[in-house]
Amino acid sequence: MARPTLRLIDRGDLLAALDRAAARKVTIISAPAGSGKTSLLRAWAGRPGQRHRLAVLQVQRDQHDAQQFWLALLAAVRQATGTGGGPEPLAATPEFNARAVVDRVRSELAGQGGPVVLVIDDLHELHSPDALAQLTRLLTSLPPSTHAILATRRDLRVGLHQLRLAGELAEIRGADLRFTERETCQLLAASGITLSEAGAALLHQRTEGWAAGLRLAAISLAGHPDPERFVAEFSGSDRTVAEYLVAEMLERQPADVQNLLLRTSLLDRVNGELADVLTGRPGSERILLDLEDANAFVVSLDPGRTWFRYHHLFGDMLRLELRRSLPEQVPALHLRAARWFAEHGQVVDAIRHTQGAGDWSAAARLLADYSFSLTLDGQAQTIQALLRAFPPGADHPELALVRAGADVIQGRLDEAAAHLAVAQAHAGTAPPDRQHRLQVTIASLKLSLARRRGHLAGVTEQAEFLNSPVTGQSDEDIALDGDLRAVALLNLGTVEAWSLGTAEAERHLQEGAALAKEIGRPYLEVGCLAELGFASKIHSFDITKARCREAIVLADRYGWGTEPVISPALITLGGALIWTGDLDQGEQWLRQAAQALAEDAGPGIRVLLHLATGTLQVSRGRLLEALEEFSAAEHLRAQLVGSHALASQVTSSMLIMAARLGRPGEARAFLAALDDERAGSGEIGNARAAISLAEGDPAAALDAVREVLDGTAPVLGYLTLVEAHLLAGLAHRGLGDQRAANQAAEHALALAEPDRPVLPFLMTGARELLEELPPHETAHAALLADILDVMRGSSLTAGGRHPSPPAEELSPGELRVLRYLPTNLSRPEIASQLSVSPNTVSTQIRSIYAKLGVRDRSAAVQRARELRLLSAGRTR
Amino acid sequence: MGPESARYSIRINGHLGATVLSAFPALASRRHGAHTVLTGLLDRSALYGVLAEIEALGLELLELRQLGPASTTMDSTTKEGTP
Repeated sequence: MARPTLRLIDRGDLLAALDRAAARKVTIISAPAGSGKTSLLRAWAGRPGQRHRLAVLQVQRDQHDAQQFWLALLAAVRQATGTGGGPEPLAATPEFNARAVVDRVRSELAGQGGPVVLVIDDLHELHSPDALAQLTRLLTSLPPSTHAILATRRDLRVGLHQLRLAGELAEIRGADLRFTERETCQLLAASGITLSEAGAALLHQRTEGWAAGLRLAAISLAGHPDPERFVAEFSGSDRTVAEYLVAEMLERQPADVQNLLLRTSLLDRVNGELADVLTGRPGSERILLDLEDANAFVVSLDPGRTWFRYHHLFGDMLRLELRRSLPEQVPALHLRAARWFAEHGQVVDAIRHTQGAGDWSAAARLLADYSFSLTLDGQAQTIQALLRAFPPGADHPELALVRAGADVIQGRLDEAAAHLAVAQAHAGTAPPDRQHRLQVTIASLKLSLARRRGHLAGVTEQAEFLNSPVTGQSDEDIALDGDLRAVALLNLGTVEAWSLGTAEAERHLQEGAALAKEIGRPYLEVGCLAELGFASKIHSFDITKARCREAIVLADRYGWGTEPVISPALITLGGALIWTGDLDQGEQWLRQAAQALAEDAGPGIRVLLHLATGTLQVSRGRLLEALEEFSAAEHLRAQLVGSHALASQVTSSMLIMAARLGRPGEARAFLAALDDERAGSGEIGNARAAISLAEGDPAAALDAVREVLDGTAPVLGYLTLVEAHLLAGLAHRGLGDQRAANQAAEHALALAEPDRPVLPFLMTGARELLEELPPHETAHAALLADILDVMRGSSLTAGGRHPSPPAEELSPGELRVLRYLPTNLSRPEIASQLSVSPNTVSTQIRSIYAKLGVRDRSAAVQRARELRLLSAGRTR
Repeated sequence: MGPESARYSIRINGHLGATVLSAFPALASRRHGAHTVLTGLLDRSALYGVLAEIEALGLELLELRQLGPASTTMDSTTKEGTP
C-alpha cells in the first residue's frame, strides 16, 4: 500500500518575488524556523528554465570553523563554475589564510564571465565571528556578475546596512513567506486532502500560514479518515502548533518508523547503516528514502541518497521527545553512534557523541589522541569548539595536551609550555597502551615549541624518539605515529637548517618529505620541501633553485602558492636568482614571498627576506637601501633566542655596506662590540677588510683577509672565499701591485666559475678590479662578461616578455660558444678558451645565428638574453 | 549562578506540552489563558540559551521581563502585572 504523500506546491507568486529580488546584488531571506526558506530556495533553483549558475551551500549545524565554511563555499563555487576537476581537491591547512581564500572565491566567481548566484542557506548556523566578518567583506565587494541570496532565521551583521543604503539589497521576510488562504487550499488539493472551505480557513487561521505547520498538518491529514474533525481538534487545542502537529504526525507513523525517527534524532546526519545500529534492526535505509519521498521533513544530502538530515525544527522536536520518553536510552544511543563514527574514521562526530553520552573522560581521551591529526587536517577551530563543550570545573589532564597544541598554533608559547608540563606529569600515570602515543605527542609538541622559539638544544633533546622503532600497534596508532613522525622531522630539520645550516637538516627534511608523501599529508610534504629549499643553500645554486622550484610546483598544485608554508622556498629561490645575477625574476619571487609571509611570521624568516632584499638592492646599485635592509636583518637577528645560520653573513653584509657608503667609523664601533666567536668568522674578517679599505689602509685589509684565505677562519661556504679574494685584489690594487690584483681577481673567478655567483663581485664593489683584468689573462672570460653586464645595470635575463623559443634548440657545444659572445674575444680567442679549432667555433657561430634568427653578434647576444640562454648552459 | 543572574519571566504564545517544556529544565511554567509563562533564575548566557531554544522550536515570544535581581525572595508563582 502506497503511503499517502504530501505534494509541495509551486508557490508561483513567491518565486516571482524571489526572481525580482535576485536582480539586486544581495537578497536576504530572513524568517523564523519552518517558514519555508529552504523549500523556496530549492524550488527556485530547481525550476525548469532556471538560467542562473548556482553555487549552493547549506551551512552545517553549529559551524564554528571559519576555514571549514570557506572551503565548503569554495567547493560549491567550483561545482557551479565547473572548475571542480582542475586543481587538487581543497585541503584545509593548519595555518588558515582567510584573506587568500576569500580572494580566491571572489576571483573564481569573477573569472566566470557569466552570471553566478551564490546561495547560502542556514547562515545563522555560522557561529564564527571571523567568518561572518570575512563574508561581509565578500558581500560588499562581489564581482559585477555575481549575486548572492542568503537565508537565515535571524538578522545578521553582514554588511547589510551598507548594501541597503546603496539600494543593492532585497529582503524577503517572514510575513512574505506565509501561506495565503488560497495557497493553503492548493496545498491540500495537491495532496488529495478533501477539506471544506471552512475547514481550510480554520487550518490556515490556526497555523497562521506557517509553512512548517501546514506541512505537518497535511502529512497527518493525507489519508486521514476524518479530516474535518482533525482540523477542529487541532484548532480547539491551545498547544503550540509545532508540538501538537509533530506529536500527531509521529503517532500516525508505524512503530518502526517512530522508533527510527526518535532514536536517530540525536544525529546531525544519518545513513541507513548507522540508523540500523541505533534502532537495533535492519531496513532503515528504505524507511528514510520513503520519508524523503513523502516530503516528511527528511532530506538527502548527496545525489546518491545515502546520507539524510532532518529539518532542524522537526529534528529538535524529536530529540526532545526522545529525551522525554526514553531518557535512559539516550547515553547508550550516543555511545553506539560514537562507536560507529569512530569505526568509520569520523573522529569529530565520535567525540561529539561521546560528549553527548556524558562520558567526559572518554571524550577527553579521544580528543587528546586525535587532536594532533585534526590540527594537521586544519580543524583547529573545531577542536576549540569541542574543548568548550567540556563542563567547566571537570578537570581532565588529557585536555592539557589538547590545549597545549592549540596554544602552539596560536603562538601562545608560554601557555603551551605550562600545559605541556601538566600533560607530561599526567602521561606518566596513563595505562601502558596509551603511554607511547601520549609521550610521542608531547615530544612532538615540545619540538614545535622549540622550533617556534628557534631553540635548537630543546629540539635535539626531543628528537630522541625518532630513533625508537614503531612497535606492534593498532593501525590507528601507526597512522598517528606517522603524522607525529613527519611533523617531528619537519620541525627538527627546520630548526637545524635555520640554526646551524648542516647536512643533517637536509637528511631530516628529505626523510620528512618522503614520509609525508607516503602517509598522504601534502601540507607536511610541502612544508618539508620548502624548508629543504632553504636548507639547500649549502649546495650549489642549481640544486637550491631546483629544490625550491619543486616545492613551489607542489604547493601550487594544492593552491598553497601564497601560503606561509611555502615562503622559505620563495625567498630562497628569489635569493638564489639574485645571487646569480637574474635580478628581475628574483625580484618577482621576493615580491610573492612578501605576500605569503603571515602577519605573525617569526623573526627568522623575516631576517631571510631582508637579507635577500638587501642583496637585490646591492645588485641594482642602490647601496643605501641595501644598508637599510641589512640593518633591519641584523636588528631582527639580534632578537632571536638561538643562533641564526646566516648570522655572520647578515652582520658582514651590513658592515661592508656601511664601509662602502663611507661610514667606516660606525662599522668599526659595531665590530668592537662583537664577541670573540662571532668576530673570528671569515665573513667578519671580510667585513674588517672592507672597513680598512674604506679607511684607506689596504695593508690592514690584506691582513684582515689572511686568515680567511689560508683557511683558518671558519666560513659559511666558498662564497666567503670569493669575497675574500676580491677584497685582497682591491687591497693589492691599492698598494699598486697590479699583478697580484689580477691574480686575486682570477682566483675569485675560478672559484666562482662552477656555480657562477655574481653577488660577491657586486658586494665588494670590484668593478674596476675586473675591468682592469686583461681578457687574455683570464680563463673565465664569459663569467667576467656576465658580471660586468650586471654591474653596468642589465639583469642577466630580460624579464617580463615571453619571447618565442628558437626554432631548433642549441646544442651543448653551441651553448658554450654562445656564452662567449657577449665578451670582446675574437673567434680564435674563444676557440683557444674552449680548446677547439677556430673552424669549429665559426661553424657553431653560424649555426647559432641561424637558430636564433639573427645576423650579427650583438643581436645574437640580445636574443640569447631574452631567451635566457646565457645562464642556461654550464661548462662541467 | 554568576553575578549577572536575575529572575526572568518569559511569556510564550500557546500552551507548552511536556515535550517542549523539557527544553527549559531551569524554568518553572505556568499557564496564563492561552499563553505559557516561564520563570526562573538565569544568568546572561542561560538567558540567551533560552531565547535560542525558543527560536529553534518555532515558538512565539510575546514578552520577556526581568523581575528583579537574585536577592528577591524565591517565588514560584508570578501574578500577572507584578513588576
